[in-house]
Amino acid sequence: MSLPPRSRASSGPLIAGTLIVVVIGIAIVALLAAGITPQRAWESFFPVGGQPVVTDRAHATRSLYDVVFYIAAAIFLLVEGLIIFTAIRYRRKPGDEELPPQIHGNNLIEIIWTVIPLGIVLFLFVISWQTLNTVDAKAATGDVHVRAVAARFQWKFDYLDGPDGPNAKVVYEQLLPVGDDGGLVLPVGSPVHITLTSPDVIHAFYVPKFLFKRDVVPGKLNNFDFTVDTPGTYRGQCAELCGEFHGSMLFEVHALPQADFDAWMAAAVKKAQQSPPPPPSGAPAGSGAPAPSGAPAGSGAPAGQAVQEAAHNIAFVNQNLSAPANTPFAIEFDNQDAGQPHNIEIKDAGGAVKFKGDLVIGPAKATYDVPALPAGTYPFVCTVHSNMTGTITVQ
Amino acid sequence: MATTALHPAAPAVRGGLYEWLTTTDHKKIGMLYLVNSLVFFALGGILALVVRLELAQPGMQFIDEAFYNQAFTMHASFMLFLFIIPILAGFGNYAVPLQIGAPDMAFPRINALSFWLLPLGGALMASGFLASGGAAASGWTEYPPLSGPAYHGTGTDLWIMGLVLIGTSSILGAINFLVTIFRMRAPGMTLFRMPILSWTVLVTSVLVLMSTPVLTSALIMLFIDRNYGGHFFDPANGGNAVLYQNVFWFYSHPAVYIMVLPAMGIISEVLPVFSRKPLFGYKAFVFATVGIGALGFSVWAHHMFTTGQVFLPFFALMTFLIAVPTGVKMFNWIATLWRGKLVFSTPLLFAFGFLTMFLIGGLNGAFSAAVPVDFALHDTYWVVAHLHYVLFGGSVFGVFAGIYYWFPKMTGRMLNETLGKLQFVLMFVGFNMTFFPMHQLGLMGMPRRIADYASTAGWTELNTLATIGGFTIGLSMVPFLWNVMVSLRNGRIAGDDPWEGNTLEWATSSPPPPYNFDHLPEIRSERPVFDARHGRTATH
Repeated sequence: MSLPPRSRASSGPLIAGTLIVVVIGIAIVALLAAGITPQRAWESFFPVGGQPVVTDRAHATRSLYDVVFYIAAAIFLLVEGLIIFTAIRYRRKPGDEELPPQIHGNNLIEIIWTVIPLGIVLFLFVISWQTLNTVDAKAATGDVHVRAVAARFQWKFDYLDGPDGPNAKVVYEQLLPVGDDGGLVLPVGSPVHITLTSPDVIHAFYVPKFLFKRDVVPGKLNNFDFTVDTPGTYRGQCAELCGEFHGSMLFEVHALPQADFDAWMAAAVKKAQQSPPPPPSGAPAGSGAPAPSGAPAGSGAPAGQAVQEAAHNIAFVNQNLSAPANTPFAIEFDNQDAGQPHNIEIKDAGGAVKFKGDLVIGPAKATYDVPALPAGTYPFVCTVHSNMTGTITVQ
Repeated sequence: MATTALHPAAPAVRGGLYEWLTTTDHKKIGMLYLVNSLVFFALGGILALVVRLELAQPGMQFIDEAFYNQAFTMHASFMLFLFIIPILAGFGNYAVPLQIGAPDMAFPRINALSFWLLPLGGALMASGFLASGGAAASGWTEYPPLSGPAYHGTGTDLWIMGLVLIGTSSILGAINFLVTIFRMRAPGMTLFRMPILSWTVLVTSVLVLMSTPVLTSALIMLFIDRNYGGHFFDPANGGNAVLYQNVFWFYSHPAVYIMVLPAMGIISEVLPVFSRKPLFGYKAFVFATVGIGALGFSVWAHHMFTTGQVFLPFFALMTFLIAVPTGVKMFNWIATLWRGKLVFSTPLLFAFGFLTMFLIGGLNGAFSAAVPVDFALHDTYWVVAHLHYVLFGGSVFGVFAGIYYWFPKMTGRMLNETLGKLQFVLMFVGFNMTFFPMHQLGLMGMPRRIADYASTAGWTELNTLATIGGFTIGLSMVPFLWNVMVSLRNGRIAGDDPWEGNTLEWATSSPPPPYNFDHLPEIRSERPVFDARHGRTATH
């Protein structure tokens, strides 16, 4: 038996291995040059980059993650080390024609490496189950009941007067999913009950710092409880593909100290009672804007021709508007999307909000009185749908 | 011996193209499978690069959101249904009859039919790009209600019909493999002397036969919902949206093993040959393969932990348990290498790539089996990292090990070793650069299937890195294609047995003649060719 290919192949692993080591070395240098310290690199292996998580359930999940991580890391180092060791230690030397010992197996060692992994996974299963019972536990107390409604492509948060059900009454409807005057506002330190519902497709409620997500399934009512333990604003996002603008279906959680939350809630309920209740979806509505919004609704008399804009199929019909400079003007806004809240929010080039119109639930019309703007080009969006964009040229 | 009377129905010599279009020779059909699968690998790869290009920076630069959704949907559909599953079936088609000493598959014409359904189904699926509204865009899982008639047009119907045809191809192929393996093994080739690749094809065929009809039922129900006013999955009319997920994953989780087991089989052929030792724990390997196949039917709902509609502890336990037979395989592979004399030809390099990457794909899967951790990681980029470490780091590296290993047998010529090593290094580095940072992105909370992200989210650097890695993988295909084209004409002549193989395909000429063997060596172990070379008694 001649062995032409073998004798020529022995330098292969050295070249390939050296190249891979070189590339890893370059990568490490590049990471250090980009300002990524070993500390930051290590923390990137943990949820939300090692930042603290903010609910009682999330702490339990984080502890479980750490256990799984350290076991997985130990197994990784052991097995990867064995693989690399064999690659280095057992290379065939050039000219070595002898067969290595022909070992077919060993039943004892097969049993050992069946039983030990079995023990590890059973341990992981038991602690996962325990943590699951913590995460899925229902809170007996707490009087904050929120029904999160996910629809293509926005979130809405209904604050209820009691546990969700056929008799639950909506005391306040939060239409704006993001921003200082929007978002899911929650108290710190007292249990919150959330139910999820969708009128169209499947979505998922996901807040990274809660280490939690739950699907919003049309036709089913999913619910979960938790307690936020740190005040702050937390990013949330739909996590189940729901169509083109899935990626812009964002929301925010504002966690306030209990007293601030109570004050916010009282103000919100009062505002909701003052303004007429939101029209049922699909029903024609007047130009009244039901949403309580702290935005300046504009002042100053409009001058000249009003600017026309309409929203249709989650998009602005006219993406390029023009308006006179240094004088207040009006925008006549026609929201043609049944059941969808839209508005117009004008920003300057730096992103600062120059004007924010009240939300209108379609189909309905509204007239926005925009204050005077200096000449220039201003992007505008719908506050609820960040993918709805356009530009207004003021000259 | 199975007394199969073979009547060559046509003269042996036919024109080149006509021969390839009408062949019923399992070797030629196997190669057709490989070529067709590599074409769809290229198409799916281009779509992946489109996705990576768009994600490299925040903001929509190159495509709109609608096309983005089509791109990742069709990327996954091509890669799973038209690349990985068929290319592994192609290796089975080529190697199994040779390995068990049979002249051909049991039903050669059905074999040709199962192949030709694939380009047809693939073309049907791809033609969605020409339909108004574009191709299917609800993810490769096509969950209703999003995949329903209210949201997506003809592209989704074409996707369904294409996939039904591909499923039919799989079912026909599975029956063919089962009959071939049970009825056409050469004298002396008992089941427990069968090469591991043939074992994995056997188990895979059972999985296909039991699960693919279930997928077809889900697709037909979806088709009825979309076109004939059905309400199976329509919650507004008493249907159940999660029912689809249950039926779909009852196929699609076993399908993960359909996509991995034959690649494990290829690795189990390559490691013994290039370490010059028998496979350590052959029987343990067979039992582990059967065990993975059996457990694979009881874990489907681990894709649905966050739906709130499945019983979590049962599926968590089963998912953890499946790690045990997988671990047994990993340890047996390492024990095969242990004290061997390793010859680092390109197939062994890719096999090492498989071992190192599949290990990560197994370990990061354990995080998702721990249900509360899955609540945090599900549908984030962590899952994208996990599935690519299994299906790319695992299966695709296994596929390339197989291509470098059997190319000499298929064509009679060797592939160039230097170009092969260059391809390996580029692919290995590019793969890790693309998919390792996705763990971090997922932990930071980046959901999958989003077309865009805020520049303030802190995800930009890692996404840019992943895009560079993706193009490095694309670059690694250049030396591969160059290698194939050059070696087909000018490659070194391989001879019958260039690697000192163990199994029967190395006992015939390269390429083998029609009907494979003039005569067979005696089969007294799982390594008949090794026994013939070294003498059985001398080394046992």
